[in-house]
Amino acid sequence: MVNIKDLLGKSKVVEKAKPASKGGRASSTPKHPIDEETKPSPKKRKTDEVKSSYFKNKSTPRAAKATPKVYSVDSDTDLESEDDFKPDPIEVDEDEDDDFLANEDDDIDLDLKEDEEEDADDLVKDEQDEEEEEEEEPIVEKPKKKRSAPVKKEATPTPKATPKKAAPKSTPKKEAAAPSASTGGKSAEDVLALIPDAVLPEQDPEEAKKGFNFFKKAAAAPGSSGDAPEIPEAQPNCLSGLTIVFTGVLPTLDRDASENLAKKYGAKVTKSISGKTSLVVIGDEAGPSKVAKIKKLKIKAIDEDGFVKLLTSMPAEGGDGEAALKAKEKREEEERRVIEQAEKEAAEEEKETKRKEQELKKKKAETAAKAAASSSTSNGSQRLPEEPQRIIPESEKLWTVKYAPKDLSQLCGNKGQILKLKNWLNDWFDNAKSDFQNPGKDGSGIFRAALISGPPGIGKTSAAHLIANSLGFDVLEKNASDVRSKSLLNSNIKSVLNNTSVVGFFKHRDDEAQGQNDKKFCLIMDEVDGMSSGDHGGAGALSAFCRITKMPMILICNDKSLPKMRIFDRVTFDLPFRRPSENEVKSRLMTIALREKVKLDPTVIGQLVGATNNDIRQMINLLSTVSKTQKVIGSEQTKDLSSTWKKETILKPFDITSKFLNGQIYSPNAKHTLNDKINLYFNDIDFTPLMIQENYLYTRPTNVGTSMEHLERVAQAADDISQSDHINSLIRSSEQQWSLLPFHAVMSSVKPSMEIAGTVNQRINFAGWLGQNSKAMKYERLLQELQYHTRLRTFSDKKSFRLDYIPLFIEKLTEPILKYQDEGIESVIDIMDYYYLTKEDWDSIVDFGVGPSKSDNYLKKISTKTKSSFTRKYNGTSHPTAIYKTGNSVTGRVSGGGKQKVDYEDVIEDDTTGKDEQDDEEVDNDKIDAKKDKLIKEVKSKKKAAPKKKK
Amino acid sequence: MSNSLTLELPWVEKYRPHKLDDIVGNEETVERLKLIANDGNMPHMIISGLPGIGKTTSIHCLAVELLGEQLYHSATLELNASDDRGIDVVRNKIKQFAQTKISLPAGRHKIIILDEADSMTPGAQQALRRTMEIYSNTTRFAFACNQSSKIIEPLQSRCAILRYNKLSDSQVLERLLEIVKAEDVKYNSEGLQALIFTAEGDMRQAINNLQSTVAGFGFVNDINVFKIVDQPHPLVIKKILSYCIVNKDIESAIELLDGLWKKGYSAIDIVTSSFKVAKSIPGINEQKRLEVIKEIGYVHMRVLEGVSTYLQLCGMLAKLCKV
Repeated sequence: MVNIKDLLGKSKVVEKAKPASKGGRASSTPKHPIDEETKPSPKKRKTDEVKSSYFKNKSTPRAAKATPKVYSVDSDTDLESEDDFKPDPIEVDEDEDDDFLANEDDDIDLDLKEDEEEDADDLVKDEQDEEEEEEEEPIVEKPKKKRSAPVKKEATPTPKATPKKAAPKSTPKKEAAAPSASTGGKSAEDVLALIPDAVLPEQDPEEAKKGFNFFKKAAAAPGSSGDAPEIPEAQPNCLSGLTIVFTGVLPTLDRDASENLAKKYGAKVTKSISGKTSLVVIGDEAGPSKVAKIKKLKIKAIDEDGFVKLLTSMPAEGGDGEAALKAKEKREEEERRVIEQAEKEAAEEEKETKRKEQELKKKKAETAAKAAASSSTSNGSQRLPEEPQRIIPESEKLWTVKYAPKDLSQLCGNKGQILKLKNWLNDWFDNAKSDFQNPGKDGSGIFRAALISGPPGIGKTSAAHLIANSLGFDVLEKNASDVRSKSLLNSNIKSVLNNTSVVGFFKHRDDEAQGQNDKKFCLIMDEVDGMSSGDHGGAGALSAFCRITKMPMILICNDKSLPKMRIFDRVTFDLPFRRPSENEVKSRLMTIALREKVKLDPTVIGQLVGATNNDIRQMINLLSTVSKTQKVIGSEQTKDLSSTWKKETILKPFDITSKFLNGQIYSPNAKHTLNDKINLYFNDIDFTPLMIQENYLYTRPTNVGTSMEHLERVAQAADDISQSDHINSLIRSSEQQWSLLPFHAVMSSVKPSMEIAGTVNQRINFAGWLGQNSKAMKYERLLQELQYHTRLRTFSDKKSFRLDYIPLFIEKLTEPILKYQDEGIESVIDIMDYYYLTKEDWDSIVDFGVGPSKSDNYLKKISTKTKSSFTRKYNGTSHPTAIYKTGNSVTGRVSGGGKQKVDYEDVIEDDTTGKDEQDDEEVDNDKIDAKKDKLIKEVKSKKKAAPKKKK
Repeated sequence: MSNSLTLELPWVEKYRPHKLDDIVGNEETVERLKLIANDGNMPHMIISGLPGIGKTTSIHCLAVELLGEQLYHSATLELNASDDRGIDVVRNKIKQFAQTKISLPAGRHKIIILDEADSMTPGAQQALRRTMEIYSNTTRFAFACNQSSKIIEPLQSRCAILRYNKLSDSQVLERLLEIVKAEDVKYNSEGLQALIFTAEGDMRQAINNLQSTVAGFGFVNDINVFKIVDQPHPLVIKKILSYCIVNKDIESAIELLDGLWKKGYSAIDIVTSSFKVAKSIPGINEQKRLEVIKEIGYVHMRVLEGVSTYLQLCGMLAKLCKV
């Protein structure tokens, strides 16, 4: 304690004296790691003990266990940390949510208005902004100064209360002074004047801005904010405790970059301005309503230069302002806890491994003894000693295996779902007794199978295995590397299912022995969505098993929304897993880093999480690879790490479309080259054009003044899209001009969306073309059928049949029924018989109506009673059949009739194949049927036509 | 090359690096690979990058250095796009290989090399997922691919992803000079420059072009290289475009075009390279660039339809002047 106080005192002195010395940075940086290490000193020492004892043990594995004292301490901390671990993150979440909900709506509205109002007069706006800010100045400054004063006073007492912080604080201040000194001139003085007392953004925005502008004019500032967006190196966490809102277009940084920057340094970035906002960074085209809000709430606003300056001049850890301190405390608390937990876990694991090692030793000894014993008997000895060799030392395993969670508490995130799964599995046999009729508390009681879904690398498989093991189940796993076709599933899995049911019989007989005796099975089907073409009918068979299984089944998949997963919808207990949050991952990663003796900066984890998309396995992999070369992982390394490690996945059509249509990639300071945009199209060359075409009308383009201009742009976009269709037809023609693909990319997606990119007014729709296209195909088919049926009485091709006959048919076939109700049926049937139309044809003819004769208009007027009597009457009498019947009427009837008889499993079988396949099959069927029918037609026409004519 | 009748290996094979030390470029990543080669315990990994920058070579080198020459053949399984890699092969061949027991020194594992992994079907990739995990204690996977996005996310999540960047011109040059020296080739510096320019960071392309230039002309200068590569010189195309777009000077543009046309470049060559150049032509804003691309694209279409005449090209230039 004394030491720290001394340090503090010194730092105060240093702080004032420092500006002149440029060596401040160099001298202070090495202190950092030391500070961090000393922070959790009491705990650290203990774990150090543990560690050292562990390593001793490891090196001499036969040594006895470490002293029990250490363990007891550990278990204490365990309880504590677990108790207070939960509430915190939740609080944070709520905060954010509130902000969001409250302000989201008006914010969008405002944005829209802003866009409309201010496009032309950017320059004027800028001036206005400045004026406004200057007007604000007196208002803003007063409270600020008031606030800053008490803070200054506080600054001294706070370190006493939390002595740990004193050390880190002192260093950054020196650092902060150093760079500003080097920038020289006025601003340095400004910054210096600001930093010691000021804290926070007390670094007044107006001041900063003015100072900076002046400074810019007076002396050409080297590299402070040139044309190239040079992002300043700032102190770690210098913005912590600030809530920052970015609005408008910043001159050099693009929005995402600046937001990331702020986040990186510990600020909270929100979208809308509220009372909690501590700082607004205003760019060009900031909305007037936002400006008004800023004024109203008296929030400071700074421009980009000010922001850059803020970054360079803020001391690390956000200075010693109240908010910053709070935030810092909170964060440190978290970090400490995380480290504690990490250490605790590490210790536990060490205990475990030690125990295992000892067991192993014992085993080895045993086997050795056995071997020795059996060595007298010549033959058997050969095999036994080999056994221990197989055991692979921990160090050779992949980290992901080595640190795979070994009990449920080690799983990161999804605690709720894991608990649900556990309860479900636990109660399974109870539920089985009630034949799955009793839904239970959470409604899981009626399911025989559970379906875990979620993105890769979040512990789905681990969770399933751990839960099954912890409840004493024997796990039978099938994954995508096994063939899982219907027949194989039937032969393999079904027999297993029966096995357990037999065990069930035994159970009832000797209830007492149940506990020890029965081996419960649990079937884990991994990667259910990975069932592919080789696994014909597998999914269907599996879903059938889900209904009848006599043992619990856990299915695991990535994407539950796939069409082929739909058959599991109502038969399984749905457990969606979510990506674990940063906090949940933190402790685990810290444990691993600690155990591998890699120095991992806790703040880095956030970036790792971002880079890997919350994929914990990837993070562990990343750590393991990086640690090969680097033993210290700080924020400097992560920058390039996160870029190289970013998982590249194919974007979904919706993401592509929203990227195209929302104007950001087209803004002049975005870093997207034309090639990047073209590559966006190449993510999905089939859907992107369709999606753009579907949605291009629903945007509000940026920088469009009049609606006339908007219309012109839309016209241009439409023009381009239609041209792209021409290109597409060339590409997909028999000539296969695939070299035109980049051109198609430009014309179908890049150029049209450039014209109309802006704010998207509504949800992005899925391409309607597909639906419309299949509808068109269907009508085409129906028309074909009608034409075949009426061939004997009509003399036209398909087109003229549609144009000339059908309108009249609609009239003639509905009019009598509408007019005379039941009495009219007779005449309608007469007409139908004359033209060899069936009842289905009647339906489809009515369906063909458009405009005023749309089918609904007629069908609604006909009462259900009449309809049913029409059907009855038609079915009651026999009718002349057309000579040729097309496939659909034949298959339609067969499948229609068939469906009533078909039993359960067969129906499932129908759905099993993926949607694509199904479609293909359908098409195939049609073709085959058509062919068949043509044959039938040729053969039968002669036979049947003859007798008819006789009649 | 008087003794060209003697059987000669492609230089690409002849000068393929056999040690990690010899691999050019991507120092950091290769450094990491070297460490892995020393320590053993190779993680699953995906190496992605453009063609011709040493992905496959690095994996081979790594495998050899890890396992040694003798074990290399028994303890590695290499499959590339030329092999059948359907889901059945993954389920049978790969799984069986993963299950087989081969005694290896500590820290060494069997290695399954899947080259051109981006051409594997998603189904086959799915089937790899659990195999990679279950047998990870004995078997490690190495994937090489051009686009890591074609590898399904679950596999990416299991692997260390190493990205190879384009080789810098100086790195290619260095290697070319070595080969030139070893093969005793006559060259001038413009020739090498042209080779590097046309290769665009693709070492294999550069070496292949070098060899064909040598085989064809015996002397490496820029004219010969561009003859071999058979590409209208991008710089000329760039000049033509900027004459049209910036200076609106159709006369000079047509003069240059005449030059290309007389050299015998076909219309399609000229148009496609114009398209490529136009995508990144500096000095004009994007909207205008898209207009330019549009015009070039139309001509491309017409040329593909069969109207590959001089008139079309002139028409294109005239249209470009109007943009």
